[in-house]
Amino acid sequence: MEESISKHNIRLHCTAKNWEDAIRISAAPLVECGSINPSYIDRMIASVHELGPYIVIMPGFAIAHAAPGDDVTVSDLSVATFSEDVTFGCDNDPVRIVMCLACTDREAHIARLQRIAEKLLDETFLDRMGSCVSADELYNLLNE
Amino acid sequence: MLRTNIEKIARAHNIEVEAFCGDVASCCANDCDVIFISKELGERIKDRAKVPVIELDNFMNKAEVEEKTLAYLDSVR
Repeated sequence: MEESISKHNIRLHCTAKNWEDAIRISAAPLVECGSINPSYIDRMIASVHELGPYIVIMPGFAIAHAAPGDDVTVSDLSVATFSEDVTFGCDNDPVRIVMCLACTDREAHIARLQRIAEKLLDETFLDRMGSCVSADELYNLLNE
Repeated sequence: MLRTNIEKIARAHNIEVEAFCGDVASCCANDCDVIFISKELGERIKDRAKVPVIELDNFMNKAEVEEKTLAYLDSVR
């Protein structure tokens, strides 16, 4: 089965100055591996400034994203866990896990997202993600 | 993710739905019966939307999504 998130795109126990920093940290692997240009990160942050913290779709969890664009080369996903609370200014604060989604078109990635959505429906899943001590462990949890 | 959840709930209740994802800029122009949206974004489209707007606090809370989906579907039955 195709993996949901590659091991390279998983970062653990990060610390962020604020939510913008958290999005930058979570998305950094996507720039490193060439899936996105840095301008995509700016667009993800701009959309929260413009529209509010709607990306915090459940307590403790944010999925940053922006519309498909030229700055996305490969549809890809990344995730970072944070050792300290990140505040977005919404009812679903505090956030400890930030995922970044980049798509080349509107339909790309739906299958991978659906697999992750299935897991997130399990109330214990976020806690289990947060308590992973290695990228390998989180990788296995996300891709099992 | 919300779409997946709503589709799953409808399937479990044997109700046929056609769900698709939109964005704040375009969703009010779509030809649809109802819009499910986050609380933050709901505020922005409420005044423009021509169809009911259902706001959700937690996209991944099965109970909340199920309750609001079924309440809407019951209201139009």
